[in-house]
Amino acid sequence: MTRSISYKGVAKRLDRFMAWFISLGGMTIIAAVLGILLFIGKEAYPLFLSPHSKALATAALPPSSALAPDETGRALATLDAAQGVRGFTVDGGHPLPPAANGPALPWRTHTSVDGKGGFAVLGADHRLSFGRLTWDKPGQTTDPAQWAPVAKWDGAFPVGDQLGTLLSVRTLAASGLAGGESWRVVALDPGGALRWAEFTSEDATPVDDSDSAAPETPVAKAAAPAAPAQWRALSLPDGQHPTCARLSADGKAVFAGTREGSVLFFNLGEDGAPATLAASVPFPEPVSALGFALGQNALLVGGERGGLAAVQALHQDGKTVLQEFHRFPKLDGPVLGFMASQRDKRFLSFSASMVAVDHLTTERRLFSATGQGFKDAALSARGDFIFAQDGTGALRTWSLDAPHPEISSRILWGKVHYEGYRKAEYVWQSSGGTDDFEPKLSLMPLVFGTMKGTFYAMIFALPLAILGALYTSQFATPRLRDTIKPLVEIMAALPSVVLGFLAGLVLAPLFEKSAVSVLLMPLATLLVALALVPVWVRMPKWFRLRWGNGREVAWLLPTMLLGLLVAAWVAPAFERIFLAGDFRAWLLQSHGYTYDQRNSIVVGFAMGFAVIPIIFTISEDALSAVPRSLTSASLACGASPWQTAWRVVLPTASPGIFSAVMVGLGRAIGETMIVLMATGNTPVMEWNPFNGMRTLAANIAVETPEAPAHGTLYRLLFFTALLLFALTFILNTVAELVRQHLRKRYESF
Amino acid sequence: MAKFQTWWRRGSGFVWFSGATLALSLLMIGGLVGYIAVKGLGFFWPTPLVQAMTPDGPVLGEISGHEKAQGEDAAKIQFHVGNRDVYGQDFRWIPKTALHDFSTPADAVLVERLEYGPFIGRVKSLEQGGQPIAQGEAALAAIGARLSDAINLQRTIHRIEKKDVGALNSQIEALRIEQHRLELKGADTSQLAVKSRQLQTSYDAAESRLAALRAEAGAVTVTLATADGQTKTLPLAAIVRMVPANALGVFGKSRIYLSRLWEFLWDDPRESNTEGGIFPAIFGTVMMVLIMSILVVPLGVMASLFMREYAKQGWLLRTLRVAVNNLAGVPSIVFGVFGLGFFVYGLGGSIDKLLFADKLPTPTYGTGGILWASLTLALLTVPVVIVATEEALASVPRSQREASLALGATKWQTIRNVVLPGAAPGILTGLILAMARGAGEVAPLMLTGVVKLAPSMPLDGSFPFLHLDRKFMHMGFHIYDVGFQSPNSEAAKPMVFMTAFLLLMVVVILNLFALRLRSRLRARAGGGGAF
Repeated sequence: MTRSISYKGVAKRLDRFMAWFISLGGMTIIAAVLGILLFIGKEAYPLFLSPHSKALATAALPPSSALAPDETGRALATLDAAQGVRGFTVDGGHPLPPAANGPALPWRTHTSVDGKGGFAVLGADHRLSFGRLTWDKPGQTTDPAQWAPVAKWDGAFPVGDQLGTLLSVRTLAASGLAGGESWRVVALDPGGALRWAEFTSEDATPVDDSDSAAPETPVAKAAAPAAPAQWRALSLPDGQHPTCARLSADGKAVFAGTREGSVLFFNLGEDGAPATLAASVPFPEPVSALGFALGQNALLVGGERGGLAAVQALHQDGKTVLQEFHRFPKLDGPVLGFMASQRDKRFLSFSASMVAVDHLTTERRLFSATGQGFKDAALSARGDFIFAQDGTGALRTWSLDAPHPEISSRILWGKVHYEGYRKAEYVWQSSGGTDDFEPKLSLMPLVFGTMKGTFYAMIFALPLAILGALYTSQFATPRLRDTIKPLVEIMAALPSVVLGFLAGLVLAPLFEKSAVSVLLMPLATLLVALALVPVWVRMPKWFRLRWGNGREVAWLLPTMLLGLLVAAWVAPAFERIFLAGDFRAWLLQSHGYTYDQRNSIVVGFAMGFAVIPIIFTISEDALSAVPRSLTSASLACGASPWQTAWRVVLPTASPGIFSAVMVGLGRAIGETMIVLMATGNTPVMEWNPFNGMRTLAANIAVETPEAPAHGTLYRLLFFTALLLFALTFILNTVAELVRQHLRKRYESF
Repeated sequence: MAKFQTWWRRGSGFVWFSGATLALSLLMIGGLVGYIAVKGLGFFWPTPLVQAMTPDGPVLGEISGHEKAQGEDAAKIQFHVGNRDVYGQDFRWIPKTALHDFSTPADAVLVERLEYGPFIGRVKSLEQGGQPIAQGEAALAAIGARLSDAINLQRTIHRIEKKDVGALNSQIEALRIEQHRLELKGADTSQLAVKSRQLQTSYDAAESRLAALRAEAGAVTVTLATADGQTKTLPLAAIVRMVPANALGVFGKSRIYLSRLWEFLWDDPRESNTEGGIFPAIFGTVMMVLIMSILVVPLGVMASLFMREYAKQGWLLRTLRVAVNNLAGVPSIVFGVFGLGFFVYGLGGSIDKLLFADKLPTPTYGTGGILWASLTLALLTVPVVIVATEEALASVPRSQREASLALGATKWQTIRNVVLPGAAPGILTGLILAMARGAGEVAPLMLTGVVKLAPSMPLDGSFPFLHLDRKFMHMGFHIYDVGFQSPNSEAAKPMVFMTAFLLLMVVVILNLFALRLRSRLRARAGGGGAF
C-alpha cells in the first residue's frame, strides 16, 4: 500500500513539474519567436535617434589664430603668428613642447590647417614655407601630457612683397620620375587682387638654417639667390572684389567668393596659359568664407549674414557649371570658417557668436552652440569633438554623439541631390571605392523594385493559379483532382534556389534568343485551341462525354505543347516580317526600351513557380468549401457548370481567394533567391519589363555580409528587414482573419 | 453553327481556358523536373568524341551545343575541346560551313585530371623515370593497368596530408596558444618548448615521407597529344579517369557512368567546385538539417503542448496562434538577418569574450558557423512544426484522453502515454516538412555560416569531433555559388544541374512522404472516432 501511494505522489509531483516546465518552455519559445521582431527593431532604431552633445570642461589657452586637434580630440595644436606652432592638452590646457624650427617669427600670414595637417606660412623674412603637422606620441602612450606636435617643413620660397593674405594651398604630388612635390598657392596681394603661383621643390631653399634633420641637402647654406616667385593674376569680372578663395582638389581650378555675392570658378591654365573664368553662381550675401567637405567635391560657402550653402562644379560636354545644391540653416552673424570631418560628410561652421555642425547630404544640423567672440573653431577628425576659442584664448569643448548622421526620413524616402548629380534623384548606392564616398541610401529604388517584381509575378501567377484552382475544384473528375493536387504540392516544395538557377542560367539566355516565340506563345496556343473547337463540337456525344466533363486537361496538355511548338516555329518568320528582323533593335527604336538578359519577365515567370502553388492550394480549399447545396441548387435550376462556377461559386469563395492572393503577395514580396539569381540586381526605377530590378529582400542578402557590424548600412538593412517582416506579417494576418471568418460563415451549412 | 452556339453558351470555352491554364502549370512543373533530370543525369554518360577538319586544323572534342542561323550569324556548333592549359579556353564555337570530314576516331580519349579540367586528345606514350615503356595503343592498356595503383598512391598522399600532418598542425597551434596564454600570465614555458621540439620532429618525419611518396608518384608520366599535335606530359597520379569514349560499348559506358556517379556523391570537389564530387556539401546539408531537427522538435512540441493543453483558451491565445502561424510566411532572409545580429554577433561575440578570449581577435563563435545556421533555420521552421503538431494533438480523440484521466492518470501521464504517441505521426509529418524546408532554404544560410569551400568538415576525427563553430557547405548554396560566381560557368553548368537534381529529389521525396503520412492520418482520424 505505501508503495502505490508514493508512486502516486511521484506522479503528482512530476505532473506539476511538467506543467510548469512546459508552460515556461512554451511561453519562452513563443516569446522568442515574436522577439525576433523586437530584436530587429532594436538594431534598427538607433538610426533615428537625434544627435546628442555634451559640453565638456573649458580651458584657458593663450590666444591663437588656428586650431588643429589631434585624432582623439585630447590634445590641440595651435598656430599663432607670434608664437608659431604650439600644443596643449584639452583637459586643463597644459602646454606641450612646441614644434621647433619653423619659419622666422612673427609670421606675416598663414593658412589654417587642413584635414591632412597641411598649412602654409609666410615668415617674417618674406619666405613662404609649407608645413605638415603630425603628433609624436612616445611609446603609444595614451596620456596627452606626453604628446608633442611635430611640424615637418618644406621649401622656403622667397616671395618678396607680393603676398598680402594667404588664402589656400594645395600640394600636388610628384609627377614623373625626376620631379619633386610642387605646391600651388592662391593669395590676395596687398592691393586686394587675387593671385596664384606654383612652387616646385627644386626651387626650394631650406626652411631653417639650423635644420639639422636634412643631411641629404648639403648644398647652399649660403644665401640663396632669391628669384621672386611668378605670381599670376586671376582677373575677376568688373566690380567684383574677392574675399576668399580655395584651390580645387587637383589644384587645377580655383573657387573664389566675392563681396558682391557670387562664387566664381577659374580654370588655371597649364604651362603658362592664363587662367580663365569658367563658371559662376550667385549667392544672396557677400561671401565671407569658403571650405570643402570630405572628398573636396562640395564647396561650402558662408555669407556675411550667416547664410550657408554648398556649391559644386559639374563638368558636362566640356563646359563647367557651378550649381548650389544644398542650403543649411543660417548662422548668427558672418561665417568665419569651416572645418570638415575626415570620416563622413559632416562639417563645422562658425561665426563670432555661433558654432554649428551640419551634415552635407541630409542638410541636418547635428550640433549648435552659441557664445561670444569666437575667433576660431575646429572639429576633430572623427567629428566627435568640437572646439571653439575666443579672442582671450578661452577654449570651449563639446563632445558630439551622432553615429548615423547620413540618415533622415528625407534621405530614405525623398529625392536627394548628391555630389556629382545634376538634380535631386532617388539613388541606392551604399558603398564606393574610396573612403570619401557619399553613401546614397534612398529606399525608393528598392521599394519600387519590390513592387515591380511582385507585379510581374502576380500578372503571371494570378490567372494561372486562380483559374487552375477553379478548374480543379469545379470541373475536374475526382481522380484527376487526386493527381493534380500532389503535383501542385510538389511545385510548392521546389527550393527557390533551383528555380532561380533555372531562371538565371537557362531561361534568361533562352528567352533572349527566342523572345519573340515566348511572347507569341499565348496567341499561338489560343489559335490552336480555337482551331480545335469546330472539330470538337462535331464529335459524337459519347466522345464528348468521355473526354469532356472534367477530363479536358488530359488532352489540353498536348494541345498546349503543340501551341508552344507552333509559336517556336512561326517566330522567326514573324520577327522577319513585322519586327524588321531583330526584336531587340525594334524594341529600342520604337519604344526606347533596352533589353537586359535577366529581366522582369524572366523573374515573373520564375516567381510564378514559387507563388502559383500557394495561391492555388488556398483558393482550391476555398472553392471546395463552398457548400454543395449551393452548387446543386444552381445546377438544378438549369445552369451549366461554368455558369455555376463563375456566378455562384467564385463570388461565394471570393474572400478565400482574396486571402490566397494576400498570402501569395507576401511570398512574392519576400522572395530572395529567385530575384538574386534571375535579375541583374540593379536598383533601377523603370517599369520597362525588359529591365532588371533590385528588391528589398535581395538587397539584404547581397549587402549584409559586407556591411560593417553596427554601422549605418547594417542598421539600415535591419530596418528594411523590419519593413519586410511587418509587411508580410500584416498581409498574412489579414488573410488568416478573412479565412477564419469564412470558416465560421460556412459552419452552419 | 447551332452546336457551336450551344457549346459557347454553356461556357465550355471558359472551362477549356481554365483547363488550359492548369495544363500550363502542370507542363511547367513537368518541364522543370524533367529538364533538370535529363540535364543532370545525362551529364555522366560518356558522349562520343568527334573529330572534324577546319581551315585552322583538326578539332577534336564533344559536341556540346548547336545554334541555328540567326540574322547575319551562320549556324554554329559548340565543341568542348578541353585542354584549358593548352588552348586557354575549353569551349569553342565553330561555324558549320567551316567544318567537314566528321569522324569518331577509336583512339581518342578524354582524360579527367586533377587540374585544368579534362584533356581531350590521344595517348602518345607512357614513361617511367623519363624513359618510354609503352607507345600508342599499348600505352592505353598499360595505363589502365597501373591507374588504380597510382590513384591509391595519390589517396595515401592526400590522407597523410590531411589527417596526419593536419593533426600535427592543430597540435602545434594549440601549443602556440597555450604558450601565449602562459606568457600573458608570466609563467614558465620551458616544458612547452620540449613538446614543441617533439612535434616538430614528427612533422619533419611526416614531411619527408610525403616527399618520398610524391617522388614515387611523379616517377611515372604520361604524354598526351592534342588533335593538332601539341603534347602535354603529366604524372600518372594526376589522372583521375581515362575515358576512351568512342571505343566503349554500352557496358563500358555504364561502368564509366556509375563510376562518375559514385565520385559525384562521395568525393571532394576540385577545380573550384566545377569538377569532382559534392560530398562535403551533401554532408554539410545533412548535418545542418539533423542539428536543426534536434533543435526544432522539442521546441515545437513544447510550444504546441503549451498552447493546446496547458494554456487558457482565450482570445489572447488565439491571437498568439495566429501570430505564430503567420511567422511561417515571413521571408527567410529576415530570419537570416536576425541570426546574424543576435546569434553571430550577439551570442557568438559574448561566448568568444567569455570562453575564447585568448584566440581573439580571430572569432571562434563570433562568426558564422553550423551551430548558428542550424539555430536560425530552427527558428524559421518552428512555426511549421507547431502547426503540424497542433493539428496532430487536436486529432487525438477526446474520448481517449478522458478515458485515461478517468482511470486515474495525471495530465502529464495522459500526455506522455496517450496523446503524444497518438500524435506522433503528425509530429513526424511536421518534422519532415520542416526538414524539407530547411534543406531548400539558402538565403538565411548565406548570412550565418555557409561557405563556397570548407577546409574541414564539422564532424571529423580530431577532438572534440563535433565542431559546431566551423563553417560548412550546403547543396543549395553550392548551386548558387557554382552557377553564378564561378570563373567558368559553362564548365560548371552540368555539375549545377546534377546538384539541383539531387536537391530536388531529396526535397520532393521528403514532401511526398510527409503528404502520404498526412493523408493516411487524416483518413484514420476521420474514421477513428468510433470510441
